[in-house]
Amino acid sequence: MKRTRYFGAVLAAMLALSAPAGAQTPAPAKDPAAIAALESMSAYLRTLKAFQVESLTTTDDVLDDGLLSQQAAKNTFLVEMPNKLFVTVSSDAKERSFLYDGKNFTLWASRSRYYATVPAPATVRELDDELNNKYGIEIPLADLFRFGSPTWNAADITAAVDLGPGTVLGVTCQHYAFRQDGADWQVWIQKGAFPLPRKLVITTTDDPARPQHSAVLSWNLAPSYNAEAFTFVPPADAKRIALAVVSQ
Amino acid sequence: MTRLAKSSIAIALALLVGPAVAVPAHAGDRARTSVNRNKNENRNTNVNRNKNVNVNSNRNVNRNVNVDRDVDIDVDVDRHGCCYHHHSGWGVAAAVTTAVVVGSIVNTLPPSCTVVMVNGFTYQQCGNTWYQPQFVGTSTTYVVVNAPR
Repeated sequence: MKRTRYFGAVLAAMLALSAPAGAQTPAPAKDPAAIAALESMSAYLRTLKAFQVESLTTTDDVLDDGLLSQQAAKNTFLVEMPNKLFVTVSSDAKERSFLYDGKNFTLWASRSRYYATVPAPATVRELDDELNNKYGIEIPLADLFRFGSPTWNAADITAAVDLGPGTVLGVTCQHYAFRQDGADWQVWIQKGAFPLPRKLVITTTDDPARPQHSAVLSWNLAPSYNAEAFTFVPPADAKRIALAVVSQ
Repeated sequence: MTRLAKSSIAIALALLVGPAVAVPAHAGDRARTSVNRNKNENRNTNVNRNKNVNVNSNRNVNRNVNVDRDVDIDVDVDRHGCCYHHHSGWGVAAAVTTAVVVGSIVNTLPPSCTVVMVNGFTYQQCGNTWYQPQFVGTSTTYVVVNAPR
């Protein structure tokens, strides 16, 4: 007993010595209740078999001189888990559609009438990985089908804070902030029986310019669509082009 | 023009010549849009993107007059002159008429091109110069190619 106390004292002294000198900003706490809320939202998302989301997003580009250029876009997002997806992205610069029917992925540029179709893996999550790693394409709002998936782990979060109530487009939410490697992010989770993310803000922290991405989401949990919605049928004036492989 | 755009051009150029060019997927220079992607771990490695030896050793790069030009490939060609950093359209189109090296990449075509389909894929024939449109990421670019037929 005495011995244990002795070692405890030594350990405490060592810790005190190894701490950086001077007053440091204490690391934010990892509030278990905030983590629980995130896990609850994630679990709820994974109960949804099909959903439709409209989102207004802003995404910062970092220019050569370090200035930020905020790009706004409107996205529509229809997913039928685990292997069907139809996403449209409309911004000042371009309009794109992503179609995935479980077999093929098509990128469609409605203004230029160009499209590219490539064979696709078996699930939306694998598709997102492949598009990212092989083609340099990001599916907007991919977090909606990644929270609560096997690749997601709340243990990666190093800080979690409950910021209190907040309203998003008239919906009462609870506002949380999280930190993980490379990103500080916030989520507004709808209160009540349907804990949906209503707003997401991601700040990239491993870039000194700290570019930010935000998305405000409107949900439809009973979307009406048919199976053809996910398969690209080229219009008569559509022109097929290649999709460049940027990594392997 | 963003660093991302410049990088994508380098990547595409590298692709033109060598098989199996291992270039990290782009990720940096723009806010990350997901907190769940495994791939975002690549962000840190992309800081070193300009050390990519595949690009520098690529013979085509050195004689490609377009390499150092600011070509903003992140904007559709049907949009003109909207933005401070999206300024490429006119200058590039003008320069292309004097530089039609195979392998060059531009984001706008010269005037008076004709769409030609070869083996199911689309080409643009502009005078004696042939361009193959392609998506790099979600952006459209045009690669100068040898006549496909």
